Parts: sequence; C-alpha cells; structure tokens
Amino acid sequence: MNPEGDYSSALPEEWRVELPTFEGPLDLLLRLVKINEVELTDIPVALICDQFHGYLQLMEELNLDIAAEYIYEAALLIHLKSRLLLPRPISAVEEGQDPREELVQRLLEYQKMKDAAQTLAEVDVLRQGVWTRQPRDLPGPEQEESIDLGEVSLFDLLGALRQVFVRFEHEHPPPWHVLRETFSVRDQFERLVERLMPDRPLDLLADLRTRSCRAEAVSTFRAVLELARLRLVRLHQTEAGELLLYRTSRELQQHELEAIQG
Amino acid sequence: MTDRAEIEAALEAVLFVASEPVPRERLLELFNNRDRGKAEAALQEVLDRYKSVDDRGVFIEQVAGGLRLVTRPELNSYLRKFFEVTGRNRLSLAALETLALIAYRQPITSPEIQDVRGVSSSGVLKTLLEKRLIKIGGRKKVVGKPFLYRTTREFLMHFGLEALEDLPPLEEFEESLGALEAEDVLS
Repeated sequence: MNPEGDYSSALPEEWRVELPTFEGPLDLLLRLVKINEVELTDIPVALICDQFHGYLQLMEELNLDIAAEYIYEAALLIHLKSRLLLPRPISAVEEGQDPREELVQRLLEYQKMKDAAQTLAEVDVLRQGVWTRQPRDLPGPEQEESIDLGEVSLFDLLGALRQVFVRFEHEHPPPWHVLRETFSVRDQFERLVERLMPDRPLDLLADLRTRSCRAEAVSTFRAVLELARLRLVRLHQTEAGELLLYRTSRELQQHELEAIQG
Repeated sequence: MTDRAEIEAALEAVLFVASEPVPRERLLELFNNRDRGKAEAALQEVLDRYKSVDDRGVFIEQVAGGLRLVTRPELNSYLRKFFEVTGRNRLSLAALETLALIAYRQPITSPEIQDVRGVSSSGVLKTLLEKRLIKIGGRKKVVGKPFLYRTTREFLMHFGLEALEDLPPLEEFEESLGALEAEDVLS
C-alpha cells in the first residue's frame, strides 16, 4: 500500500488544510488529543500515532523543515504503539503498569507548563502597561563634593603637576635593559687560582655544574686548560670518575696572566 | 520629633524619585527611632493614599520585596502615545513556556527544560538572559555540569510579584485541566 495514502487517510478532511505552528512535538500531541476529544489519561495511541505521522507527512508536502524533535517523538510513538500491540506479561498487567504512563506524565507536565505560560502571557501583557520612573543618575555617597575653584592658586596647580610627574615616573619606570652576560677565560682563570688551595683538591665537575650557564662553564673549562698548560694544576681522575685539580707549587707569573685572553 | 505630616511628605517624595522598589524597612530607617510608630502609621497613610483607584494615574505597588510608584496599566495607551512608543515587546510563547518552567521548577538546567518542552530551548534561554528575567545560578553536579537557571528580581518586578511564592500555584492548572492523578490513569 502507498504509505502516503495511508497517512493522509488518518487525517480528517476538515482540519487537514489548517496547519498551525506548534511549539514542539508535545504541543502537537496535545492538540491531537484535544481534536479527537479523548482523555489525556486514556490516549488511543494507535490513532494519535497515525495522525502525528500524518502531520509530519503534511509538513513534508508543504516543504516545511521538520525539526529532529518531531522525528524523535514520532519514533517514540511508534515504539509505544508496538508495545501496546504485543501481549503484556501478566505480572505487568496485574501491577497495573500502563506503557502509556510515561507519555501521559510528560503530556501532563507539559500541559501544566503551557497553562502556566498562558497565565504569564496575560500578566505580561498587563504589566507591559505599567510604567515606572526611569532611573536617573544620582550622586552616590562615594562621589566627592565639588571644590571651590577660586581657592586654587597657580602653585597648587604646579604642585599637582609635579605629583602627576612623580606618579608617572613611578608607574612608568625606565625599561630594564637586559644585557647578555659575557664570561671571559681570564676571569675564570683568576677565580680558580683564588679557589685552589695548596692542600685541597678542587672537584672540577662540581665546579662546572654550579656555573650559571653554558657560556660560563665553557670559559671555566678553557681556564682549566690554561692552568694545566702553565703547569699550575695537576689533573687527577678518581675511580669514581671525579676530576680533581691539585694546585702545584709553581707561582703564577704576571705576564702569563696577562697573556690569557680577556 | 518630626511632624507626622512631614514624614508622610518625605515618604511620598522618596517613592516619587526612587525607580527601584524600596524595601519598607529602608523607608522607615529615614526617621528617628523615637518616631518609629509615627513613621509606620504615616507609611500606611501614604499607601492608602496611593491605592490603585480609577481617578488616579499612579499607585504604589508592593513588588520584589519593596514599594514603588507605578502608573496604572489602563493608562498605557496615553503613555505610549505621548512617548511615541510604537513597537511591542511581548515575550514569545516559547519564551513564556521556558520562563514558566524556570519559575516553577527552579533551579533547572537546559536539558531538563528540553525534557518537558520536547524542544531545545537554547535560543529562548539567551533571550530571557538578555532581558534579565533569568540568571545562571551555579551548575548542576551531574555529567556535563549544565548551568542552573533561576528567575531574577527583574522577573518579580516585571510580573508584579512580591516574591516567588506569589506565583499562582500549579495545582490550579491541574484542576482546570480536569486531569486525573497518576493513580487514576492506571485504573
């Protein structure tokens, strides 16, 4: 059978032409209940389901966009219809479970809200006609009283300007110049010579590890190479892998120090 | 001691200027504590004077926990004509349904509203928020943490309600429906 004909036949002629806009699928369902003059609490699901689909069909014919909510509701109705067609377990019948109960509850709650909305609408219209005074800017307590301009002298103005400058400088401090730090081999050389005690070895790796950056560590390493070249230190590696610097008895000559690049 | 007539006049003046509802207590605080009894009587006198009556243009209404001077709704057309207001600012049916749900079931989330209405209400919620009739009051501690919506003081003011309890009870609608209770459904 042609499904179109099937759906259309479910719609009585007299209200097939008129298509009021519904606030949603539940609104349409309520309308169908009203049109069929059936009790909300005893909905003939098969009939309502067919008419609901008839409406969707009509919407499609009129090229109206059918919102997903309607499709969803239609699916729920078909599901409900099929459940009612199937024999129910005796226990469910005895307990008085009605598969329609959930739908009824939803429709009742929706109807309640629809009625409440109707009341609000009436109040809304009435209250639109109630006018009040427009709020006006009143001086609040935090606002200062106006000052007497006559008492302001030129010096007051200058003083104020000075305060503005002070505050400006305070709020706009000169920008920080970030300079790239440079480390010279000679600085590191001198530092190491100072640190090296005749009787105490210096742990080179520990020293390198505590340098502030890679560049400083490199300078330090090169300074150690210079120290070794000038035979000012002896280098020992322990079994644990530590590198120890021992100060030799040789004295550092001034010209040797000066020869090291800055 | 302040003269009773002066108190009445002062109350009238404050209510005339105030655009927001003024709580009764704030009005009475204006006067010396010794004049308390007199001030209360004076306020009652002013309230009686500004009851909604046919030969007056304004009246004092009790709304959103306060008192304010407003025009009688019957005079709307004159005011619209004088202030050259032509447009209408009515709430749509969808907005009213959503607003009713929030008013009666607050706090409520958008998914819960959709459950009852059967359609998405996000656009309507936005409109109601813009009109300041509803506000977001926290999030529900469920999956997705949806916003909880509540009505505002503006809602009370707009609908002329003293408090939320003054909303017409929903039971009345049920009666008008002639609806049966859930138990009767099953018989």
